Formats: sequence, C-alpha cells, structure tokens
Amino acid sequence: MQVYLPIAELSVNLFFLVGIGGAVGFLSGLFGVGGGFLLTPLLIFSGVPAPVAVASVTGQVVAASTSGALSHYRRGGIDLHLAMYLVLSGILGAFGGVAMFALLRDAGQLDLVISLGFLVLLGSVGVLMLVESTRSLLKARKGVVVRERLPNQHSWIHGLPMRVRFKKSRLYISVLPVLVIGLFIGFVGSLLGIGGGFIMVPALVYLLRVPGNVVIGTSLAQVVAMMAATTILHAVQSQSVDILLAFCLMVGGTAGAQFGAAAGKQLRGEQLRGLLALLILAVAIRFGLSLVLTPSDVFSMAVVGGAR
Amino acid sequence: MRLLLALLTIFVLLVPAQGARLVSQLSNDTVEITSSYSGERMTFFGSIEPDAGSTEPVVGPFHVVIVVVGPTQNRVARQKTNNFGIWINTDQVEYENFPSYFHVLSSGRLTDITDVTTLTTNNILPEAYTLDANSADWWKNAVFGRQLVRLMGQQGLFGIQENGVNFLSGNFYSARLTLPSGAPPGPYIAHTYVFKGGEIIARKSEGFAVRKIGFERFLALSAVQQPLLYGIICVILALFTGWLGGVVFKR
Repeated sequence: MQVYLPIAELSVNLFFLVGIGGAVGFLSGLFGVGGGFLLTPLLIFSGVPAPVAVASVTGQVVAASTSGALSHYRRGGIDLHLAMYLVLSGILGAFGGVAMFALLRDAGQLDLVISLGFLVLLGSVGVLMLVESTRSLLKARKGVVVRERLPNQHSWIHGLPMRVRFKKSRLYISVLPVLVIGLFIGFVGSLLGIGGGFIMVPALVYLLRVPGNVVIGTSLAQVVAMMAATTILHAVQSQSVDILLAFCLMVGGTAGAQFGAAAGKQLRGEQLRGLLALLILAVAIRFGLSLVLTPSDVFSMAVVGGAR
Repeated sequence: MRLLLALLTIFVLLVPAQGARLVSQLSNDTVEITSSYSGERMTFFGSIEPDAGSTEPVVGPFHVVIVVVGPTQNRVARQKTNNFGIWINTDQVEYENFPSYFHVLSSGRLTDITDVTTLTTNNILPEAYTLDANSADWWKNAVFGRQLVRLMGQQGLFGIQENGVNFLSGNFYSARLTLPSGAPPGPYIAHTYVFKGGEIIARKSEGFAVRKIGFERFLALSAVQQPLLYGIICVILALFTGWLGGVVFKR
C-alpha cells in the first residue's frame, strides 16, 4: 500500500516504513538507544531526501524515547536536575547544529560531513564498547567478579570549579563538563539526526561517574527534551519535518521497542553491549567504505535554495 | 538574446501561415495528489485542422512532438574526486531555472523530424536548459549539464520517448504519459509542435497543474505557513505516540 509523503514529495510503501520503524525500534528497545543512527541512513538509502530524513527522524526519536523515559521516571530513575543542565546546553548546541546543517547543505559537503561524523563517532564509541564488553565477558567467564565503578571514584574532571550538587546522582561536581557534554551532543545530534544516547550513556558513566540506576533514565529524558526542541527547530528553519513519515516510523518504532525491551531481558549486560558495539561498528564501516571506495557515480545532483 | 532568438523564430515560423492549426486536448488539467498517489497517467490528443477560413484540406505526413515541462528549480550538479583516498565533492555547477520534470513524446526519431538547431531553439532537447549556468567555463557547463540530464533521467524525471505519439489517422494523434510519483507538484506546461517537412507548421501550449489536495495539501501548507505550530504538533504527536505505546504494551 503506497502512501504519499507530503513534505518528502514521494510515495513510499506504508508497510516498508512501519517495518523499518519496527525493526529499528526493536533494536532500540533491546539496547536502550534511540536508533536514529540506524534509521537516518536507512531512510536516505531508500530515497528520502537527506534533510527530510534527518528532520523527521528527530521526531521519531522523541516517540521512541518517551515510553522508556516515562517508565524510568515512574521508577525514580531520572536525575531531573542533571537532565535540565544537559537539555539547556543541548538545545544551545542544537541551534549550532541546525545552522551548520543548512550551511553544509548549501556548500554540497553535507554528505561528506555526515559520513565522516558517523565514521569517527560510531567507530570510536564502537571500538571502546567492544573492548570494554569483551574484557568483562572474558573476566566473567574466568569467574572473576566484575566490580562496577563506584560513583565516589574521582578524576581530574571532578576538580573543576563551579560545583553543583546533584542529589539523585549523589554527585557534587562542576557543571562545566556537564554543559560541554550537553553542548556537544546537541550539536552532533541535530547535525547527524541522531539522539546521541550511545554517546551520552558512556559519557555519563565514564566521565561524570553517574551511578547506573539513573544513567539510562537521565539520558532518555535528555534525548526526549533535546530532540523535541530539535524537531521544532528543524520545522521552523528548514520546514523539512514530514509529519506523516515521522508518524509511520513512530508507530512501528514504539511497537518494536516493546518487543526489543522484552528480548533484552534475556541477555546479560555485557552481551548486550558487545552486540550493540558490533552493530555500531558495522554502521561505521559502512560509512567508512562509502568515503574510500570508488563511488558508482562520481556525479550527483541537488536542489538548491529552497525552491520548492 | 535567447528570448529574442525565440521570438524571432516564432515570428518567422508563424507569419507564413501554412494553413494548419492544432486542435488539442489534455485528459486532465489537474493531477491531484492524494494520500494514495503513486503517479498518474495522462493522455494528450489532438488533430491537425485546416486554418480558419481555409477550405484546403491539410495533407501530411505530419510529425508531432509534445514537450512536457515541470516547475523549475535551481539545481546543482556535483562531481566527486579522490583526495588523499577520500571521495569528496570538489566541483559543482549550478543551473538556474532548471525544470524538475521534462519529457518529450514524439511520433518518430527527433533527428528525423527536424534538425538540431530547431530542436535546441525550441527547447525540445533537455540540454537546452543547461545553457543557463552560473559558471563561466563553457566546456564545464556542457559536461556537468550532460551529467545532470543523465541523473534526472535515472530518477525518471527526464526522458524522451520517440514513439510516444501515435497517429490514429492521417491528422489525428494521441499520446500517453505516465507522471511518476516523484514528479514535483507545481505548474506544468505541455508544448505541442506539429512538424511537416522539418518545419514547425503549428504549435500550442497547454498548462496543467500537479497539486496536493485535501489532507496532504493541508499538511504541506501548514509546514510552510505555521512552521512553529507544525513543529510543536509533531512533538506532541511523538510524545503521545510514545506514551500510548508504553500504556498499550504495559512496559
């Protein structure tokens, strides 16, 4: 059944859209990430113009993260105070990202920056996660008890000025690294059309030492608020949010996420992280190859100057 | 200059009236995009009649060429080159007022119907639209223009069907065109040219519109006219869908 997307201005099979939304939603529920880093490239590959894909996926990420964030909120797994700092700096970063997006698109270098950005980000995060999860898997097999890092272990980051107390996370740290993380994820997220959960979680755990019980919830809350702001920003600036496309993806995504979360309970934490690392690396390699391999067509075309 | 040339051509060709006129019709003057839109088939038909007041019958053989041109946009063609192992867009040429859709239907091979000059001055060949480029380098314009036409062809937006027009009798023709779903909304013009012995003896231009109607039109309009409200509604929809998903599946 074909459905016409009014902003993307093309007709796509409805089941295909709900299907990829569902598949990505399953993975996002399984691993606790937004799934934007899979969905955006998939949509671009299936012919949706890149600006529409990026802008509409931000809408879908909001939906995908909402149910997770709500259930974490009910369980008290969100540090609202910390999330607020992250969101405010994130929105600031998103302004920069959306402006940069428009600039690069007009210069014809958007594809390059998206590919490079995905390659560097996903590649480094993927390698780090793979190393970490293999190590803990091996240790667990040897029978060594893996000790979680404790929140009171300090690093140089905790010595910075302007310290604020975050009660729920049991942290008394400088706001500067928090703001920098928020700013960076806001910028990268709006530029690449990803929620940034897969950068946020490691950053909170390893840089700020946020305890495990509030990491996922806080990250999800931040993703919901920041992506909501980015959606509005994209809608106002580039008018490329396709509500119908986003809605089809949302329906598939929220349903898929529930099954993914159920499946996730069957696997252990290290196994999940290892699988996610492999997935992230696969996407990174795909982007790396597209930069290095001789393209099938060295010529490409684009419409410039909003002449709709 | 081009305009002058075009006017001159029209003048030269039309004044010595060859005693023929074209009576033509489109199957539909609006193509409506609904939620299930996946392209539309159009029919063009017409007949070559003697001029008003003339009693001489018109005799063929005639050739008919129909050129369908979609709304124009500014488009760039870009070329990737390998720099230090990485493929980067390094060169581009921008074409102003480049049609977003261009299809030629003809009753025979274009080169058999008339000469290249006539084809180019009447914008019957897609390359005619690549002359309006922002680059000073003529050769580069031509190279990138050819590639742009090729890329548009791959998307099904440009094309030439040299057997697209069928003559049902000596002077009555019909032609079929399938507009792809990717053909952008906007005003379209169908130029019909009647050739006899390589000369244009009659021509007619008819417009039709491809437009979104109903809900699709409402969505597209609100995205442009009320972008802030539209964005907020998107977010509310997303929050609601996410919440509903959580409730339905009792996570």
